[in-house]
Amino acid sequence: MKLKKGELTMKLKVLSLLACLIASTGSVLAADGELSIGTEGAYPPWSMSDANGNVTGFDADVGALLCAKLELKCHFVVQAFDGLIPALKAKRFDVIISGMSITADRKKEINFSVGYAELANMFVAPKGSDLAGITDVDTLLKSLAGKKVGVQAGTTHAHFLEKRAPDADLKTYDTLDQMQIDLASGRIDTAFADQSALQDFLDKPDGKNFQLVNVQIKSSSDATLGEGIGVGIAQENTELKGKIDKALCELIADGSVGKASQKWFKTDISRPCN
Amino acid sequence: MELIQLAVPVLLKGLWVTAALTLVSVLIGFNLGLGLALMRLSSNRFAIGFAKYYSNVFRGTPLLVQIFIFYYGLGEVSLIRNNAVLWWVISDGSRCAVLALALNTAAYTSEILRGGLMSVPAGLVEAAQACGMSRLLRFRRIEFPLAIRQALPAYGNELILVVKGTSLASTITVLEITGYAKRLMSQTYAIFEIFAIAGMLYLVVNLLLVAAVRSIERYLMRHEARARQGVSTPLLDGTVTV
Amino acid sequence: MEFGLWQIWDAGWVGAILRGAAVTIAVGLLSMVAGLLIGIACGLIKWARIFPLSLLVDGYTSVVRGVPELLVIYLLFFSSVEFVTKVITAFGYAGLAESGYAFVIAVIAIGAISGAYSTEVIRGALASIPSGHIEAARALGLPGSRIFRRIIAPQMLRIAVPGINNVWQTTVKDTALVSVVGLQELMRTSYIGANSTRHPFIFYLIAAVVYLVITLVSQAGFDGMERLLRLRARR
Repeated sequence: MKLKKGELTMKLKVLSLLACLIASTGSVLAADGELSIGTEGAYPPWSMSDANGNVTGFDADVGALLCAKLELKCHFVVQAFDGLIPALKAKRFDVIISGMSITADRKKEINFSVGYAELANMFVAPKGSDLAGITDVDTLLKSLAGKKVGVQAGTTHAHFLEKRAPDADLKTYDTLDQMQIDLASGRIDTAFADQSALQDFLDKPDGKNFQLVNVQIKSSSDATLGEGIGVGIAQENTELKGKIDKALCELIADGSVGKASQKWFKTDISRPCN
Repeated sequence: MELIQLAVPVLLKGLWVTAALTLVSVLIGFNLGLGLALMRLSSNRFAIGFAKYYSNVFRGTPLLVQIFIFYYGLGEVSLIRNNAVLWWVISDGSRCAVLALALNTAAYTSEILRGGLMSVPAGLVEAAQACGMSRLLRFRRIEFPLAIRQALPAYGNELILVVKGTSLASTITVLEITGYAKRLMSQTYAIFEIFAIAGMLYLVVNLLLVAAVRSIERYLMRHEARARQGVSTPLLDGTVTV
Repeated sequence: MEFGLWQIWDAGWVGAILRGAAVTIAVGLLSMVAGLLIGIACGLIKWARIFPLSLLVDGYTSVVRGVPELLVIYLLFFSSVEFVTKVITAFGYAGLAESGYAFVIAVIAIGAISGAYSTEVIRGALASIPSGHIEAARALGLPGSRIFRRIIAPQMLRIAVPGINNVWQTTVKDTALVSVVGLQELMRTSYIGANSTRHPFIFYLIAAVVYLVITLVSQAGFDGMERLLRLRARR
């Protein structure tokens, strides 16, 4: 027994030390005065990561604005979207800024700041396809039956279609990039996401044969779609929520968020703070 | 309790997909593996080389990388996208997963069967030859049955690895046990419970598989059991065959 | 659509992939060491049939070997965090819990998986040591620790080398699975590259080649070690 405990101690010490070495080369060491932000890093133009692990995009800008306001140092942690909430609960980072909609289901798990952005949800389909010509929500949802529909795992879009289009053959992806690759190659018939993300796809060479389906599905039309995009905060972290709410409201009021939005979306998607 | 009621039927739906993926991959993979093992033991230099490289490449890289190469990588190649048959295979997540799993298990199977075939005592083959058996008949009646007896325990382990490997299909949109578990996770956030139930399903499948392999083994070795009881010994270990 | 290796080089992906490969090797090595320590402890327990503990070890090895690695990683990564944080802070590395988190969890998850396979290898190796050797040592009055060090351990290690080689290869390949939870190792880097450049084929191919190099080089290393051990044993 004595021998085993010694082994364990040594193992953990060696392990931790080496991990320290690796960590110090890779990511910034967390300390006081720092805000670690969980984001997806693969959801253009909200958040993208490059070869060096730097995060850019609208959410990166919102994060940077927020940190400047709160006088904290920002540190991004990249994590697949459907793992963001579990990871926040597991205290891997302090907040989520990742285009995450505020929904009733998510509120059971984590807290949200005030909404800072709002976008319409839309479908994209090949130009001239049956789906592309549809103009009303009910017909659209009905005609999804048996169709291969791409959505991102764990998003409001996935939950919405699971509920409203149960006969659709849902294909869920870890990242939007993967979904776009499959959309371009014809593996799926259509995809559902927010307008900005789809516009990003249409602007790329991959998207040249595609168009938006002219049906805007407002967040207000179904509870699964949530009430705008907010910053996710751990439930017990009420103090941080207060600070972030105040800072966000100021940033929205003075037009900083709107400016960032213009930069990435070419339109102002910021949501007025009330 | 409510959670179990919600999760179990969904995960059971995934169980059938997992079983189907395993079955088809194993059927294809076993035959390919047998072919590769025979190539390895042939006297054709190219066949030997090919089988060796094939086995090294597929055993030397992670299954996840293979699955991604087949699904995302080959999906990018226009040559494949324009070929109706190839695209039929590559375009669908489950068919793609079967392809990757079958080619992967073929590599491991070839090593296992090669070991089994090499353990067949040369004397037995020579005896069959002397009896005038054709090459095919010899293989069917002597070499293969003996090799499979030898290889069965290792092959049983490989089968379990295939079952576990099917979980990676969830990364390319296939909804099998793990795929459904992930979907349930993002709906309920009851992470531990969901993955524990999913894990138990896999365990049950694998335990059944182990039991099945054991009983096949016992069936194939029934003469051995009798031999131990004192009836004349067929001497499979080759001690007297020289 | 002209896209080649030079663009990959230009955008800094080569460096990123090499860094990823270094993380892969680091996770692999640490997990292997952790796994071997677990394997030796559990293998001894299983071999000596130390009653209540051997039941636990049996449970551990059959669960880990019967459940997909991916599931084990999801489970550990998303739910056991508080436990891990506690363990790490107990050893006095408070800051680590956050920064090297993905790395530590990766090592714990892969180490636990690797440990289950190592246990079987070590147990098998122990079982093949002729009991006469141990009895003889006992008859000479050697204390238990010396019997282990001088009689059991050297033989066990020699017999276990091919098995340890197998476990190592599996462990390296299993590290690829940690990419799904976000540790930026080789697979994750290729995945990010594949998605952001829209050229998955070349990126995953590069990943495959790097993994192949790692496994082939270590195969050669193990072959050499086996030869060496056999030579020393003959002397």
